Parts: sequence; C-alpha cells; structure tokens
Amino acid sequence: MAEKLSWTELRRALAKRTGVSEKTAGAFLNAVQAQLLEALKTDKQVKINGLGTFKVQAVAPRKSVNVTTGEEIIIEGYNKLAFTPEAGVRELIESQESGVKSQEADNAPVIDPIQKLGAQAEEIVDILGDLGQSPIEAPAAEPEPVVEPESAPAPEPVFIPEPKKEPEPEIIVQKPKKEKKKSHFWRDTLICVVILLLLLAGGYFFLRQELSDIIRSFMAPVETEEVVVGEPVVLVEEPAVVEEEPAAAEEVVTAEEDIRVYNDILLTEEITPGSRLAWIAKKHYGNKIYWPYLYDANKDHISHPNQIAIGTPIRVPRLTEAQMDTTSTAFLQLKQEAEEACKK
Amino acid sequence: MLTKEFIGLVSNESGLSKKETEQLLTTMNAIVRENLMDGKAIQLQGLGAFEIKERKERVIVHPRTGERTIVPSKNQLVFRPVATIKDELKNI
Repeated sequence: MAEKLSWTELRRALAKRTGVSEKTAGAFLNAVQAQLLEALKTDKQVKINGLGTFKVQAVAPRKSVNVTTGEEIIIEGYNKLAFTPEAGVRELIESQESGVKSQEADNAPVIDPIQKLGAQAEEIVDILGDLGQSPIEAPAAEPEPVVEPESAPAPEPVFIPEPKKEPEPEIIVQKPKKEKKKSHFWRDTLICVVILLLLLAGGYFFLRQELSDIIRSFMAPVETEEVVVGEPVVLVEEPAVVEEEPAAAEEVVTAEEDIRVYNDILLTEEITPGSRLAWIAKKHYGNKIYWPYLYDANKDHISHPNQIAIGTPIRVPRLTEAQMDTTSTAFLQLKQEAEEACKK
Repeated sequence: MLTKEFIGLVSNESGLSKKETEQLLTTMNAIVRENLMDGKAIQLQGLGAFEIKERKERVIVHPRTGERTIVPSKNQLVFRPVATIKDELKNI
C-alpha cells in the first residue's frame, strides 16, 4: 500500500491506453481537476460512472471544551468532501483485498477468527461463572467452605451454595420492578391530587363572584332590619340557603325594585361572553347612551358595571318619555353615578 | 451532477471532444481500479488520493439476544482530499 501511482504515471498510462498523446492526457487530467472542484462548488455532488460519487457534506456546528482552559467553545459548522465508491467498485475492492489479506496471513501470525470465537466462548463462560449461574462454578466453591461467609455458618456446605445462589438473582430482579410500580403509583396519585386541587381552586374562583353577587342582591332589601347582626356573619351563613333557592330570592327582589324606579320590564337578558351593558342598551333602546338605566335597574346584583359575571340576568326596563331625554339633569346625574361606579 | 454533465464541462475546459473526454474518463477509472487492485494508492494532483483502508474485524453484540458475532475485517476505498480542496469547500 505504500506505493502510490503518481500524477505522471497516471498520465502516461492513460496516454498509452487510449492512444492519445501525453499532452492531451495531461490536459484532460488538468481539466478534470479544475472542473471537479468547480462542479462540487456549484452542485455539491458529482457522480462519476465507474468510480463513485463525490459529495460535499455539511458538518453541523457542535460544542466542545477547550482542553487547556476547560471552557466551552463552539466548533463552527463546515463542509467536508465525502466520497462514496460505486457499488461495483466497492465489491471489487472488498473481494480483491481478501486475497491480499490471506497473503498477509501467511506471512504474519494473524489471529484466526475461529480461535477468537473460542476465546470469546471462554470469556462468556467466565462471566457466567462470575454471576454464579454456571454449573461449573458451583463445584469450585465446594473445596473452600471456610473462606466463604455464606457457606460457613451453614450445616451442609456441599448442597447449600447451589440453592442459595439461585433465588438471589430472582429477588434482585423482582425488587426493582415492585419499587418502580410503587413509585409510579405515588406519582400518579400525586398528579391526581394536584389536578383535583387545581379544579377546586378554579371552581371557587369562578363561583366566588357569582355567589357574592347573589348574596348581595339577597341581602340588599333585608339588610335594613338586621344591620347590627354584622355583615360577615350573615355572609358566611347565607351561601347554603342562597344556593338552594337563588331564583326565588331574585324574583322577590325584582318585584320590589321595579316598583320603585321602573314600571315596565321589557325582558330579561343574560350576560353572555363579550356582551356589555352598552351593547344591550343599543340592542333594545337603539342607543348605547342609555346603558346607565340598565345599571340602575340591576344595581342590586351588579357591583361593577364593567365586571358582570357571565350568565347574570339583566332586566331591561321600558323607558318612559322623560327617561329617554338624554339632556335632563336627572339622566345626567344618573349617568355620572354610573360612570363613577365604573371607576371603582 | 451526473457523469454526462461533468464530461461536458471537462471537454469545454480541455478543448477535447466529448467522445474523447468520455473515453479518457472511463480509461482513467479503469486505471484507477486496476491500480487499487494491485494494492497501489492513486494520487490525483490537486484533488486527493484514492486509497484502500483496512477496516479491522470487530465484535458486534445483538442488542436483543446478546449474541456476539465477529464482523470480519474488510477493505474500503477511501478518498482523501488534499488540504487545499478541503479549505476551499469548507465555506461554500
């Protein structure tokens, strides 16, 4: 292999074989050299029949460590030239070289593969023996019962080594499995508990607003009588009752409230996601400027005009001629009040 | 790029006809192969060298059965590009 066919030798051989002058052969080889590089630059891949494929392959950037300082450095990506021989050429070389190798084998004491296999078999037997599963190992342990701590206390040193050694590996295999299962079980339960807690917290968060709204609407008319009892106590006790019959409570409230300000209720509309009081006002009155009336009519269960829980029923009262007047001082005052409520 | 296109480029560069170029190329390949068979490496000026490298025999283990087998040594055709070519292709 040390021999190398040089450029000149190749040129000469080429000229001889094809019958062209050495000069043309040289020109050809130079052209091949120049064009191969150019072609690789443009196409990144050049296939040459009867030889193989030249290919430019990208090597991705990778991290490395500076050996002297120990700091991390990034080796930037680059391209390399790879050559894949044609299948026929590859086979040819593989087949031919085996012949060369056999020659080498004659000269030098190369290790026979079969011999190696034999050595391997011995190695495997040794490993098995170490594990204590091989039958060859068991008798070996017999002559030295005093040295081994296991067999020493046993009354029958000849028979014990075998049964003792057998169950051990089984236990070792089984234990980790159980532990794994247990750990899975604990992990799963933990996840379940966390999810449950999250759900509860979420439910409480969403229901809190509605509950407080309902409680307030329920409390508003009754409040005057039981003022001294203290709000917090009532608030804590009330929820259960309110939950059972919230509809009834609301009905009572509407009846009372309507008489005071609004005589005629057109309809009741539920707040849907994205809807606002101004929106509802525009829908029913034709102008969103009338939204303060909606707030006023539903003041009992709306604390903040811009933060109404979804599903809250909104009573839409019929407006009288006087109420429709947007320039009246009464309306302006109402509007101001409503706007101030927004700022809270 | 396929052989035909490459032949076209080379014939343009060298001023030889396509037929001549093709003939020269196939002959060159034949010479390269024959020399490799003789155990010789081929040095192509300004490009690199074709060499035969021995892949040593090695032991492989079947991942499932744990069976061990020996992969016999074999020889491979390797192309070792010249440093200038390596540098030129590094950043395209």
